[in-house]
Amino acid sequence: MEYVTPEGLRIDGRRPKELRRLDCSLDVLQSADGSAVFQMGNTKVLAAVFGPHEVEVRNQMKEDKAIIKCEYAMAAFSTGERRKRGKSDRRSQELSLVIKAALEQTVMVELLPRTQIDVYVQVLQADGGTRVAAINAAVLALASAGVPLRDLAAGCAAGYLEGHSLLDLNFQEDSAGGPDCSIALHPNSDRLVLLQMDSRLPMDTFEAVLNLAQDGCRAVASFMRQRLLEHTRKLAMARGAVRA
Amino acid sequence: MANVEKKVCLPGDLVQKLPEEGVLRLGPGLETREQHVAAVKSGVAHQNKSGSLLWLEGRQKRYIPAEGDVVVGTIVDRYGETFTVDINGPLLALLPQLAFEGATRRNRPNLKSGDLVYARVAAASRDLEPQLSCVDNLGRATVMGPLKDGILVQVTSSQARALLASPPAPVLQALGASLQYEVAVGQNGRVWVCSASPRTTVLVANAISASEFLSPLQIQTLVGRLVAQIQ
Repeated sequence: MEYVTPEGLRIDGRRPKELRRLDCSLDVLQSADGSAVFQMGNTKVLAAVFGPHEVEVRNQMKEDKAIIKCEYAMAAFSTGERRKRGKSDRRSQELSLVIKAALEQTVMVELLPRTQIDVYVQVLQADGGTRVAAINAAVLALASAGVPLRDLAAGCAAGYLEGHSLLDLNFQEDSAGGPDCSIALHPNSDRLVLLQMDSRLPMDTFEAVLNLAQDGCRAVASFMRQRLLEHTRKLAMARGAVRA
Repeated sequence: MANVEKKVCLPGDLVQKLPEEGVLRLGPGLETREQHVAAVKSGVAHQNKSGSLLWLEGRQKRYIPAEGDVVVGTIVDRYGETFTVDINGPLLALLPQLAFEGATRRNRPNLKSGDLVYARVAAASRDLEPQLSCVDNLGRATVMGPLKDGILVQVTSSQARALLASPPAPVLQALGASLQYEVAVGQNGRVWVCSASPRTTVLVANAISASEFLSPLQIQTLVGRLVAQIQ
C-alpha cells in the first residue's frame, strides 16, 4: 500500500506536514466541573473533570499535592468494528497512566494538597492519535473547570513512513506498523511533558520526526489557546466583565 | 505600569511585568514567574486604581476557600465540638459549635446532617481544612447562622459575585419589585432561597439559575413572564 503518492499526498489527501482539521467545544456537560470535546479529523474525544474534591481512598491521599485520577475509555461505537472495550482493558489502562503523567506535570498539584481531581476521558470516535487528542481535551476541560495550570499543554503525534515524516497520523497510517511518536508540550516554556514512540528510528530521522511533532504541538496549542480565549471572553462579555 | 484592566488571560499567560518597586498584591489565579505575573486560570484580569492589587476573575463551579468570604454550607456530620460542613470546596470545612451567637457549652445549636448554615470563612489555608464561623469579631451573628426551610440553588463563582454586588443584581431587583423573598448568597456559588410560599421560592430559584447570561432587559422579560404564571 502506498502511503504517500509521488505527488506528495497522503491517503486522506493531506500533505505530509499537515494537521487534520481541528475543532473543540468547551463546557459541554452540565454536571461536570469542567468539560470539553476535542476533535482532530475523525478522532473525537470527550473529557470531563470533577474536582478538586476530597480524596476518596484515604491512604492514597498526598499531604503535599493533589492526586489526579484519570480514566480513559473507548466507546463501543468508536471504531469501525463495534466492540465493547471498557476502561479496564490493558490498552486503556496504559493510556490512563500516560494521560495522568502528562496532566500531573501540567496541573499545579502543589496548590491543592490533600485533594483529588478526576479526569474522565471518553473516546467517541477513534481514528488514530487518541492519546494526544485525549490530553488536549483533558487540558481544555481542566482549564474550563478553573483548575490551576502551569501552561496549556498540547499534544500531537508524528510518524515516519516510506521515507517521509508524517504529522498527525490517522488510523490507517498508524496501523502501517511504522514508528509513531506521540508528544505533549508546554508551548510557553517549550517543555516536553510526554514523549512516547513505538518501533524504532535512526537518530537523525528521530530528530526530524520529533521536531515535526513539536511544530504540530505548537499549532494545536495556538488553536486551543484561541478557542479557550474566545470561550473565556464570551463568558466574561455575557456577564458584562469586558466589553465587546 | 502597563494597564492590564479587563484583559482576558489564559493559564500560562504573562499578565504583566513585576513593578520595579512598591508592593503588588496578587489575588487568586495569579502567581509570579520570573520577573512577571502569570495567570494559572482563565479569566479576566482586574487591577485597582492605584495599581497595588491585581486579581483574576474567572468562572468556576468549584469553590476555593478564601478568608473573609461568606458561604452557604451544608452540615455533613458532627465531631465532638465541631460540625463538618460541605462548602463545595476541595475539603470539608470545620464549624465550631460555639461559633454561633450566644452559644455556650450548655446551649448550642442542634444542627443535623443536611441542615444549612450561612457562615464566614474565618481561616483558609491550602494545607488545612477551612474554619468557619457564624459570628463576627464582636460575637454577633449579623446575618449569619442556621438557615431554616428554603431551597438551595447552585450557581457559578462569577454569578455568585454578581448576585452579591451592589447595587443589587438585576435579577434580584426585578424579582423584588413584585415578590417577597429572602436569599442568602454564598461566594461558594450556593444560593439559599426562601419565601412564604413554595411557589414563590421555586420561581425565584428558577429565575436566578436561568439569569446568568441574560441582559437586564431579558431578565425583566423573564421575571415578568414567570410572575404572570403564578398570579
